[in-house]
Amino acid sequence: MLDIRNLCKHFGGIKAVDECSFGVERGSITALIGPNGAGKTTAFNCISRTMTPTRGEVWLDGERIDELRPHKITARGLSRTFQISRNLADMTVLENVICQSRINGWRDFFKPAMSPEEIEKAMGLLDFLGIARLAHEDGANLSYGQKKLMDLAALLMSDPKIILLDEPAGGVNPTLLEEIIGHIRELNRNGLTVLIVEHNMDLIMRLSHRVVVMAQGSVIASGTPDEVRNDPAVLEAYLGGAQEAAA
Amino acid sequence: MPTIDAEDILEQRRAYNETLAQAADKTRAAWFPIAIMAALLSLPALQFVGNYNYLIHLVLFTASYVVMASGWNVLGGFAGYISLGHNVFFAVGGYFAGMAFARFEISTIILAPVAGLVAGALGYLIGLITLRVRGPSFIISSLALVMIFRIFFENWEFVGGAAGVALKANSLPVEWAKLPYYYAFIVMAAFAVWASYRIKHSKFGLGLRAISKDEIKSESAGIDTRFYKVMAFAISAFFVGMAGAVWGEYLTYIRPNIFLIILVSVNMVLMCILGGKGTIAGPVIGAVLIVAFNEFFVATLGASEINILATGLIMMLCLMFFPLGIVGTLARHRKLPRILNWD
Repeated sequence: MLDIRNLCKHFGGIKAVDECSFGVERGSITALIGPNGAGKTTAFNCISRTMTPTRGEVWLDGERIDELRPHKITARGLSRTFQISRNLADMTVLENVICQSRINGWRDFFKPAMSPEEIEKAMGLLDFLGIARLAHEDGANLSYGQKKLMDLAALLMSDPKIILLDEPAGGVNPTLLEEIIGHIRELNRNGLTVLIVEHNMDLIMRLSHRVVVMAQGSVIASGTPDEVRNDPAVLEAYLGGAQEAAA
Repeated sequence: MPTIDAEDILEQRRAYNETLAQAADKTRAAWFPIAIMAALLSLPALQFVGNYNYLIHLVLFTASYVVMASGWNVLGGFAGYISLGHNVFFAVGGYFAGMAFARFEISTIILAPVAGLVAGALGYLIGLITLRVRGPSFIISSLALVMIFRIFFENWEFVGGAAGVALKANSLPVEWAKLPYYYAFIVMAAFAVWASYRIKHSKFGLGLRAISKDEIKSESAGIDTRFYKVMAFAISAFFVGMAGAVWGEYLTYIRPNIFLIILVSVNMVLMCILGGKGTIAGPVIGAVLIVAFNEFFVATLGASEINILATGLIMMLCLMFFPLGIVGTLARHRKLPRILNWD
């Protein structure tokens, strides 16, 4: 469904992402892992076009999307969250969520900011994630974990086909983590494709169908969680062998 | 250790819901703007019992700033782009309508919407260029704009260069001469306030507010940030241009140094900041207060620099106690009087 071909992103002399290619199958939960600095988040940013890739192509459902502006990519059904929750302060949780609902052309501009249908849908999503009671709080007053849930609700507001989650479990307590895993599973069961960047190996191994391992900007292994776990290249990358070789 | 029982929680929840309801309650205060409008529309009747030209001038002057500050607020308050160059659109509107008035004798009041559209179109084009940067760079680009336009207008012989063009005063008797402009500005001010209310409560307004908080997030949320920003720029230029159109004829001349001085654009910004950037009532309150401060200190301290100092001091004190502007801070503490809750 999502196809990344020879993606490159260079910052000066640093090749953050270098000839990175992988695919995400429809209906799967695919995890992108790798040691710090492997280029996972940069790859993510290039896919969602938050950053402009130096080179390479990104295809979504047979359409090339790497030349579109980010809001167009969102309109094609690819939505993402950010590693550090980027919530909109001074706006209520409800507004934060409804902000991401789809806008069809400029005629929608002068429609009411929040139609009753949208409020109902947003409240449904917040209810599903268990934070409906916070709907009228300022987004900035939420706890770290609650913001992650709010992001997830906002993400779902635009009815995406595929979601990119950047470290959904980062800095989240174990109870909430279980909750988030449950939500992702349930969404996936309902047909949503998920691409996830994560450090938490436990979560990756339990949740994902396929794992793509990156190191130093390129994909070094991919396969089922079990295959990847025993891959010598992966072990080496995580144990620091790769860095030594580079030095 | 205090015990928490269910009743306490229920009581807290009830109190919380009440504050929400109060914040959302607008219906009960709708009479207030209507009453103000009625009072302002009937104010010129005072001319029958005496000479209140000065009062009428002050209200007119305040209303012109309400139009401009409300317009500026669309870009500066909602979208968070601080422009110090909006007097350029004041000048463009003024010159467009003023020149049409000088040549073809079409009243600037009739031309005001057209002048607004001209300013808006120019705003759209300028926005396409300057809105690529944000923060301090954008502010500097807006200042550069003022300088460019000042040089341009001062050297354009067709519009009289630095000396400008004199416009014919209307032939009404002196006690009624101000009234056409007075009513024009009152109507424009009401329209500007109504329009900013509509914008704030539309998808467009929600998008602008999102942009002011986090542009990258907004873009990835599916908001066409570039188009939204440029439209906000055009709409704010429209209002400022409209005010400029009538201002020229009111003063009976158009000249670069009445439009293209930094004081005009700084006033718009200060009014919004003092009243509450991003609120509907804020620019109105700000305009009323700043015009009032100015007049009061000019009257008591004379037209020297001291009055500017005193106005500045008041501004500082206000912002110490109302960091988000008067309306913004009161709303944050849920203490905004209902009559000022126009949001």
